[in-house]
Formats: sequence, C-alpha cells, structure tokens
Amino acid sequence: MNGNIWVLASADSVAIATTLILAALGALFTERAGVLNLGIEGILLTSAISSFLAADSSGSIWLGLIVGSLVGALLAGIHAVLSVVLRANQIVAGLALVIFGTGLANFLGKPAEGKTVTTIIKPLSFGPLSDIPLVGPIVFRQDPITYASVVIAIVSSLYLFRSRPGLELRATGDDPATVDAQGLSVASIRIRYTLFGGLLVGLGGSWLMLAQSAAWHQAATTNGVGWIALALVVFAGWRPMRLIFGAILFGFTLQLPFTLQAEQITFIPSALMQMLPYLATLIALIALSRPSTRNKLGAPKSLGIPFVRDER
Amino acid sequence: MRSPIRIVFEQRSETPKHLSVLVPLLSVVAALVVGALFLLATGYSPLETYSNMLSDGFTSSRGITDTLGLSTVLICTGISAAFAFQMNLYNIGGEGQLYLGMIGGAWAGLALGNQLPTFVMIPVVLLVGALAGASWILLPAFVRSRLGTSEIVTTLLLTYIAASLVKHFVYSPGSFFVTKNSAFPQGRLVPDSASLSGIGDTSLYPTFFLVILIALVLFWVVKKTEYGYRIQVISDSPRAAHYAGINANRTTMSVMLISGALSGLGGAVLIIGPFGRLDPGIILLGYGYAGIVIAALARNNFSAIIVSGILFAGLRSGGDKLQISTDTPIHIGVMLQGAILLFALGGEAFRRYHIHAVRTERATQ
Repeated sequence: MNGNIWVLASADSVAIATTLILAALGALFTERAGVLNLGIEGILLTSAISSFLAADSSGSIWLGLIVGSLVGALLAGIHAVLSVVLRANQIVAGLALVIFGTGLANFLGKPAEGKTVTTIIKPLSFGPLSDIPLVGPIVFRQDPITYASVVIAIVSSLYLFRSRPGLELRATGDDPATVDAQGLSVASIRIRYTLFGGLLVGLGGSWLMLAQSAAWHQAATTNGVGWIALALVVFAGWRPMRLIFGAILFGFTLQLPFTLQAEQITFIPSALMQMLPYLATLIALIALSRPSTRNKLGAPKSLGIPFVRDER
Repeated sequence: MRSPIRIVFEQRSETPKHLSVLVPLLSVVAALVVGALFLLATGYSPLETYSNMLSDGFTSSRGITDTLGLSTVLICTGISAAFAFQMNLYNIGGEGQLYLGMIGGAWAGLALGNQLPTFVMIPVVLLVGALAGASWILLPAFVRSRLGTSEIVTTLLLTYIAASLVKHFVYSPGSFFVTKNSAFPQGRLVPDSASLSGIGDTSLYPTFFLVILIALVLFWVVKKTEYGYRIQVISDSPRAAHYAGINANRTTMSVMLISGALSGLGGAVLIIGPFGRLDPGIILLGYGYAGIVIAALARNNFSAIIVSGILFAGLRSGGDKLQISTDTPIHIGVMLQGAILLFALGGEAFRRYHIHAVRTERATQ
C-alpha cells in the first residue's frame, strides 16, 4: 500500500478539522452561556455562500472571510432574540434556523452555481520544515486559518478557565440566578456569547468554502458538518482543548471515504463508506451522552433553559 | 434622573382566542415580507413571484389537486413530528425515516407485487414502509428511553446515513431496486398491483384520504384515550407521571416508534403514487424537514396539521413550478418555510406573555 497517501490523509484530517474546531467552538461558547443553538448547520451554509459571493465580487479572500463571519453572527442574532429575549423553544428555534439558512443559502447561491472561487486560501510553506517526512505535511503545510483555529481554541481554553469573564460565562450556563444576584445581566451575557459563537461558526463556514470546497454544491457543501460539530462539543466535554483532538479524529472519518476511493479500496461500496463520519459520530454520542456521563463531562447545567428572574 | 424603560413579560393566565389564529397568520405575512425584501434585492418582482406561486398552488383546478397530492406526504411527516414533539421528544430525523419508508415500500412492491392482488398489496406496501420508518428510529428511541441519550442529534445523524443508503440501493451495480441493463441507474417501477393511479388522472391519490383519516384518529387518540392522557401527563410533569405509576420509558419508546412509522408511511405513500419507485431525487425535496415546520406552525394539533400541511403544499407546489416557469429559484419556498417558523416562534411569546414596557425609577445612589 502506498504510504504517502495516508500521510496526506492525516494532513487532510487536520485541515478538515478547521471547520469542525471553529463551528464546535462557536457552539461551545453559546452552550457555555446556557443557550442551545441547533442552527449551526444553517449558519455554516449561509456564511459559506456569503463568503463565496463576497470574495468573488471583491476578489479578496479576506473580505470573504469577514463577510462570512459577520453573516454567521447575524444569523446567531436571530437565535439570540428568539431564545433569550422572547424565551422561545430553543430546539425548534435552532431547527427553524437550519431550514431558513438552507433555503437562504440556496437562494443566494443561484449566481454561484457552476462557478469556483478564483483564488483559494493557500497552505503556508515553512521551507525545509514543510519537507520533513510525515511531520512536514501534517504540521507545517496547513493554511493560516487552520493554525488560527488551533490558536483560538487554546486562547478560548485559557479564557474560559483562567479569566474572570470566563468564570462569569461558565456561571451563566450553570447557575444564572447567582450571576443575576451578582448584578450582572444574564440576558446580555447570553446574547453576547451567542453572537460571538455565530461569528466563529461563520468563520468556519467561510473557511470551508474558500479553502476546502472552492465551489458551491448547495446543501452538500457542508453536508452535515454542523451536526457533527454539535456532537463534538459533547464529545469534548465542553472543553476547547479536548475539542482540538476530537475535531482531528472526526476530521479523519470525514476524509476517509475519499482516501479509500483514491486508493481504490472498494471492498465497501462508496455510498456506504460515506456513512462513516455520521456513524462514528452517532456511536460517540451514544457512548458519551447519557445524562450522568454528560454531567460528569461538564455539561452546562442550565443549557437550553431560559432564565426568568424569580421576583416573588 | 433618567428613568430607563424595562420590558416586562407577564405570564398570561389565559390565552386570548384570537391570538391563536392571529399569530400564525401574521407569521406567514411577516415571512412573505422578508422574502419580498430578498426578492427585491436580487432583482425579482415579489408580486409576480408570489402570485405565480399562490395562483398555481391554490386557484387552478390542476394546481389544487397538485397541492392536495403533495400535502399527503407533508401531512404524514407533520403528524410524525407532532406526535413526538407533543411529548417533548424531538424526532428531527423524519426525513431519514421517510427515506426508509420509501425503501421499504419499494422493496415490498418489487418483492411481492407480482404474487398478490392490489387490495392486499396497497396495505402491505404502506405497512412495510411504516415498519421501515419505525426501524430507523429504533436505536434513538432505545437509547433515549433506556440511557436518556438526547434524541435530537441521533435522529438527525441517521438521516445522513439513510441518504447514503438510498444512494447505495440506486447506484450500486446489480441492486435489487434498479432496472437491469439500463443506460443510467434508475429505480425499478413497482408492479401495477402495488401502485394506484391518481383520481381522475390528477396527481391526487386515494392515499390522501387515508392520511387525513389517520390525522383525525390521532387527534382523537391524543384528546380522548388513556394513552393520550398518559402522554399529556408525562410531557406536563414527568415527576407527577412517575408518582402516578406511569411507565414513562415505555411510553417514550412507543411514541417515538409511532412517530418514525408515520414518517415511514409518508415514504411508502410516495411509492403508491406518484413516484412508484425508489428515487434518489427524494433526498433533495426535504419533505421530512418540512414536517417539522408544519407541526410547529399547527402547534402540534393534529387537525390543524391538515390545514398547515395543505397550506405548505400550496407554497411548495407553486415553488416547484416556479423553477420551470420563471427564473426564480425554488429555494425561496424553503426560505419562506424557515422564516414562517421563526416568526411563529417569536409570535409565540406574544401569545404566552403580556409584553409591555414600563418606566422604572432607578434608586439614586
């Protein structure tokens, strides 16, 4: 068997993990604040096409990334208004966002059909470092956003567990009444982190478009990555550092069907092979998401529950 | 001293009747306004687009039968979603259960169709489809009722797996479901005994009336039977249900299986007419996801789902034709669905709470 393709496959796993890290981090911040946003898939898709259109019309990849991220925050804003301000059912609100986002993305994507991004985000080269066997392609031949996503995850971890606002954020997800008693606004904290979460998801969607996909394939552009990201948050126990490893693991299952196809390993039919990432996610979820395990992992205790001040 | 304005949510003890009608209605209007803004921004005429959409779906006689025909499957997925949602079980994998229903129905038709007469085959196709749909929710239902694992993401992930299964059955060489020696892979048509023809050569099939009947029966089951009462108690207060000696795990299991079966039935209905074969095109149509919107808009009321299902079918069948007749993308229809649901959810707050602004005097420090 050709060893080289497996090195490339591992490098691909790290690359694909970028969207997973960013989208799951976005969901993580949102959930840490106590808000459940199931709309990740819809946000990813809409920000992906927005970044395409912005990059295509301006010729600037960076403008594409910025527009895509802002669109992500904008859609998350809808969720924030519904679930925090109007106290709507967060599960149905998230689903509505997926349906709205999918329709909107396909509507906006009409002019993008059959086109490709002219310039994509390119991997960096670190000279001789990039040529080290094995380590070179995996660690030293990624693009700037991939490195940035890992840095963002590390900084997020420090922020969450080593800073005052991080403590307030975690407290808002666990015990909003105490945060309220401290004189902080639960609603404002929840809205802020839902928006920030959307921004990260939007960046993930834009990267997926401008570095990975390069062409608009309607809903198949994201193909369920948003749902895998949601499962990844559980898998990582709501901790950013674990999320990096989980993302690479799930990233591996996402690219495996393509690698096997390229290697012409066909003992499993390709359509069945495509089930693999979802199957792996499903198994991981079932193994880890029993309520007792979830609590041990560190699920925010007030996740999905609107905060109403007790005014008796 | 500036006196800030505070928005106060006051829980209503009783919901005014008119709001229950007004909120969904205004949601539709608001969504159409948002859609119009997007249409204007992209250079389409909203008035023309909407009038094409609605007139096709609701005014011409061909349009009306198309709408009712399409509503058959949408009511199935709508009651499927509502049946689970009413017990706070979020089966959002109706889409995948629908695919399985289509696979199951096509299998029954192809395997048994030549040996059995129509009056036996139709129920068999529907039953096998429903069972296949139920089988697709078996795992999420089991882990939900036994381990407490949330059903939301598990049911959804299974939809992606079901989509791969459909593709496998259609595109893998020598598959049971496809025509042999055909130039391009295509599902094999079920024998005549396993399909019906539309009423008066329209796309409205007799299955429509069966589905309406099932919706009404469910309405009765939920309102009048002991089983429906049990569901009500568990969703209102799991603790009270526990003390009353209700086995919540078993009810969870059965409610989810029935929900899966109803989506599966939707897939089998498509085999009887108009598809008649396992068609991978189903993956792009999103009938299962639409069921979630239909159920939420009808606030899980089974008789209201008939109305919202037909309404959505009108929007959809018009939207499907837009694709052909004008340059407008069909996706405006899906976008409107999402927008309607978003507005309905926001409007729900006005139904539940009396919202008003008050000026509060802040104590001087």
